[in-house]
Amino acid sequence: MMGKANSRRSTSSQASSKLSTASRSLFSKSSPKASASGAGNSGTSESPVSARTSLLNVLRRPKSSHAITSVTSTNASSKHGQSFDSFNEDDYSDHGSTVASSYASSIRSSWSSRSSSSEDIAKRYENYLETPFVNTTTTIKHSEYGVCTNPNWRWTSHWDPAEPVHPEEEPQPPYYILLSTYLSYLLLIVLGHIRDFFGKRFLPKAYAHLVPHDGYAALNSDFDSFYTRRLKMRLDDCFSRPTTGVAGRTVVCYDRVSHDENNTFQLTGTTTRALNVSSYNYLGFASSSGPCADVVEASLHKYGVSSGGLRHDTGTTDLHEQTEKLVARFLGVESAYVCSMGFATNATTIPALVSKGCLVISDELIHASVRFGVRISGANVRAFKHNNLKHLESLLRESISQGQPRTHRPWKKIMVIVEGLYSMEGTLVPLPQLLELRNKYKFYLYLDEAHSVGALGPNGRGVCDYFGIDPREVDVLMGTFTKSFGAAGGYIAGTKHLIDRLRVTSHHMTYAEAMSPAVCTQIIATMSAIMGVAPPLASPPALEEPNDASSIVSRASRTFNYGPVPSHMLPSFMKLPQVVLNGLDGRDRLRRIAFNSRYLSSALRKLGFVVYGHRDSPIIPLLIYNPAKMLLFSQMMLNRFGADKTPIVIVVVAYPATPLITSRIRFCLSSSHTKHDMDMLLRACEEIGTLLDLKLAKQTMTVEQVIASAEELVASTHV
Amino acid sequence: MSSAAGASTSHHGSNSMEVPAPLLPLLSILSSLFLNLSSVFHRIPGSPIILRYIKSSYQDDPYRSLLEVLLVAFAIRTIFKGRTGGEGQGKSFIKFSEKEIDELVDEWRPAPLVEELEESDIQTLSSVPTIHGPGGTHVKLSAGGKSVLNLASIDWLGLVEADQMKQTAIDTLKEYGVGTCGPAGFYGLLDVHLRFQSEVAEFLGTEDAIVYSQAYATTASVIPAFAKRGDIIVADRGVNFAIQRGLQISRSQIRWYAHGDMEDMERVMQQVEKERKRKGGKLTKKFIVTEGIFENDGMMVDLPKVIELKHKYKYRLMLDESHSFGMIGAHGKGVTEHYNIPASEVDMLIASMANGCAAGGGFCAGSSVVCSHQRINSSASVFSASLPAMLATTASTALTVFNNQPELFNALQANSLLFRQILNKLEPTPFSVPPCDPAYITPSESMPPPAVTNNEALIHIPSHPQSALIHIFLLNPPSTLQEEEAMLQDIVDETLNTSQVLVTRARRLRGQEGLEPEPSLKICMSSNFTKKEVEKAAQALKQAITKVCSKRR
Ligand SMILES: Cc1ncc(COP(=O)(O)O)c(C=O)c1O
Repeated sequence: MMGKANSRRSTSSQASSKLSTASRSLFSKSSPKASASGAGNSGTSESPVSARTSLLNVLRRPKSSHAITSVTSTNASSKHGQSFDSFNEDDYSDHGSTVASSYASSIRSSWSSRSSSSEDIAKRYENYLETPFVNTTTTIKHSEYGVCTNPNWRWTSHWDPAEPVHPEEEPQPPYYILLSTYLSYLLLIVLGHIRDFFGKRFLPKAYAHLVPHDGYAALNSDFDSFYTRRLKMRLDDCFSRPTTGVAGRTVVCYDRVSHDENNTFQLTGTTTRALNVSSYNYLGFASSSGPCADVVEASLHKYGVSSGGLRHDTGTTDLHEQTEKLVARFLGVESAYVCSMGFATNATTIPALVSKGCLVISDELIHASVRFGVRISGANVRAFKHNNLKHLESLLRESISQGQPRTHRPWKKIMVIVEGLYSMEGTLVPLPQLLELRNKYKFYLYLDEAHSVGALGPNGRGVCDYFGIDPREVDVLMGTFTKSFGAAGGYIAGTKHLIDRLRVTSHHMTYAEAMSPAVCTQIIATMSAIMGVAPPLASPPALEEPNDASSIVSRASRTFNYGPVPSHMLPSFMKLPQVVLNGLDGRDRLRRIAFNSRYLSSALRKLGFVVYGHRDSPIIPLLIYNPAKMLLFSQMMLNRFGADKTPIVIVVVAYPATPLITSRIRFCLSSSHTKHDMDMLLRACEEIGTLLDLKLAKQTMTVEQVIASAEELVASTHV
Repeated sequence: MSSAAGASTSHHGSNSMEVPAPLLPLLSILSSLFLNLSSVFHRIPGSPIILRYIKSSYQDDPYRSLLEVLLVAFAIRTIFKGRTGGEGQGKSFIKFSEKEIDELVDEWRPAPLVEELEESDIQTLSSVPTIHGPGGTHVKLSAGGKSVLNLASIDWLGLVEADQMKQTAIDTLKEYGVGTCGPAGFYGLLDVHLRFQSEVAEFLGTEDAIVYSQAYATTASVIPAFAKRGDIIVADRGVNFAIQRGLQISRSQIRWYAHGDMEDMERVMQQVEKERKRKGGKLTKKFIVTEGIFENDGMMVDLPKVIELKHKYKYRLMLDESHSFGMIGAHGKGVTEHYNIPASEVDMLIASMANGCAAGGGFCAGSSVVCSHQRINSSASVFSASLPAMLATTASTALTVFNNQPELFNALQANSLLFRQILNKLEPTPFSVPPCDPAYITPSESMPPPAVTNNEALIHIPSHPQSALIHIFLLNPPSTLQEEEAMLQDIVDETLNTSQVLVTRARRLRGQEGLEPEPSLKICMSSNFTKKEVEKAAQALKQAITKVCSKRR
């Protein structure tokens, strides 16, 4: 067991040698003795410790952080003694994609009689994150993209009209939770003010930058920064953990401690590899090896890192043009252009679309980059309640009938800006109904698909694909390459006329740096992996013209034909293996993320957690409410006390990204996760969620029942 | 009512329960008022239900009633605040029936999403060159075409083609992949970012630095992270587009001073001070925003004077070194090195890693307070995925080149100077620069060009002699901006067609820039050019300018 702790917490040598001496002085290194001594002690102290004690240990973190990994709870182990029976069976079906019985559950009984001790489990999981249980021949590392061959653990992401797109009301927590949450914040605020009061008097130096001095106004007044200093700083251990390597299925985090109440963190010099359910790596294309990385390497040899300059000077290479044509093809629209940053895509395009005298109506939870762009544009803004089309309609009726404020002149245009998949809620935009509204009220629709493109739909084309809607119905399609494609930047797509005009008027084209050719190549490689590549002679299916006469319903029900990409559209240096060219790899990725998302989302609900969002969404928010539990959850996930002890990194989101009361954990799933990873995550949530009293809804199944019936859960139309 | 009653008892102290005579009428008025109110309340339809609800809910769960009361109060507040910018219930609200609204909706004809492409737009689009294959000093403009000499790419030190950069990128790829798949807050903060940040901070001599994933967004986001509504920004009129957008987002009060005019700057600062005194206002944050080498004309800021005024009037300085970082100074540290001023004197030093470093992204260097503030408050840093690892490592490699190969900067300046000397034949006044004299300061207010001593003069170049970014303006431009741009495009085409030298004209979004910059040709020098190549390019450009200008006459 201790060997495991050692292997995961690799000592500084390799990883931190990457940090130059300069940065080391920055982090004023402390000796990596923590892990060494932790390992030494635990070999002898085998006294069983209860889960409560583990909780206390976590509370005492960081001083005793390494001790926790060595502790096994009797409660947990007895529970897991039986609960881990089934991993052998998972293993078996991992091997046996050819096993005759289609459902793994049918062979479960033969294994359940065997029981394993927690040592066995720990031993078995020693190299869990790096080495698969089965032998494979792929060039992609298991730690970046998990090996999961069982064909039953696949699903196709598509809209089922029987499932509501957006639930009428969110699940509500019990009152005592609300009350204790408010009280917690109250307490924190009162304590914060008391500390400020005394701090200002006794430690004036620490406040120097927060109060006016020498005739300079404070850069950031103590009042403005109160939340950051007195509330967020207590949670700072959850944020900005430095990492190294690829943020794939697993990620390597630098261990760190703080000796001054989170003002600064010191790296201890050790690292921890953890299961990563935090990165936006939806299709698992973030990888340092494998076909896509090879193509990028070839492109780096040819093009180098930078194309040197602005798009309208000499920043446009043939690679940029190929990328843009491919993006348009991928999305099923006429034309597209790319931008070197996703945030800037919104910030530089929206001002080219709307101006003074125009009205923008956006969802209240719209992303900051959209707000940034709208503010530059000078258009009027209103917001409608999240996904509430009734509210949107009443706003539209009011705005159109009233016209511009004071003058009552009619609006020049009205643009409604929504996201396909909301990154904090996991909710989908009700696109079919929105398009009906669009036809009635004649607004323009701007759809930000930052999170949905790639991650949703049977063909991975985003929400249009998911709902079976012709993408040409949406006026402006926006998305980013940071997420599903493991690259960087964003795109705007639409009709040729729109894009040509925006090429002239968007701020990005004239003033911002061009995308790096290496990033273009990553986009081309990943997109063609999703699409599949048609052999040279096959003529590609022509894009049919949208028929404006047909009603929205019939158009919506017409499935759009997304064909493979003809090989002449790809750069000649690009050599992809057959499994990528024929689209099997891409399809497998789409179906794995669909299964993982639906499985975890349904399972957490069955376990009694309060979960927001759509079941098909790879973003799964688990509600925490109390501020203190956020930190605990995050630290306990990293320093697991359960039987397998595999560390997990998660994202916590709190005010101001969410309302004050509904702070949450956000899981971002990926194709790179295996079913096994999901099981492990569920067990971890069960352990920690029970301890922290997070199961606030009705629990209908135990965790082992849930794991055993994964396929049924995914296939069922409601939970 | 209750407060009045409370006041009366407290007034009274503790001496007895009896009510003094003068208060009796007041009490009777209060009680009758209460009776009236309660009867009014009972007359409201549905009031018994409300009462019963409140009573029972209090019995069931006192906390819940407390919570509900708070919620109701909160809801009322929210409604009155009208959070979503709803001017809806304002004074000028007109009430319509549903039918009228339907009619208005039917009648409303929105403008098209985007306007039709104009002739000039089509020309703009068709004049954008496509580079086939790698960038660098020699590029191909069509597949399999002849290569041309490229003076249009920003590549001061020839790093775009450097094998060292490619190798770094490939090594990084093999360990980090391409994208980071997350913002810095959520596991997107890589050790290579930390390394670049500390390296660049050490290189410049600041406490800390913060990396952004695009240079344009860096500038546009750093400014509003600090300057808020009510703050004062004193800015140069000639600042670039990204700064203008940042200023706009900040919603601060912007005071412009004439481009490069330090006296005007002081005048504006005095005026700000006077106004503050007159209003007796409170102390607000004050910023100076300017550029190192101006993107729009290549002029250099008079940094010593700016620093002096900044200290005198208690301003903070935001200096955009997007173009000067990696170009100016013995090691490319920018204008601070050129003037021998510690970079820590600049409060927020914003620079690009896409230009000088030939990588991508941008950074802001400053004190650790300044940088940690941005990590939480700057939207382009918080709400965007972090910079791809390979761009951070190649930028690190570029820094090593800056440190170890200062001769490249000498070569760059020699090339710029040579180019300027040849083109000087077309300028009104002779060009005489003591080479590499740090005391040389661009004459302020160059916009009305100096008196003509050269009768053959066709152009003037306000750019600083050491600037590798050279802007060429026409001396006697045609009357409209459009004609002028067309003429410059003719020069660009002529240079390319007759001499295979690629230059470009500065692209602008007309109507969106603050102070419309005059059209200009934009030349980017590189240390990678041989002397011959620079001569060839300068001669070619000179001929093209002469030819196009004479055709017009
Ligand atoms: C909806 C939305 N739009 C835009 C962006 C910005 O994209 P990028 O991270 O590529 O800058 C994000 C990223 O978080 C997003 O969620």
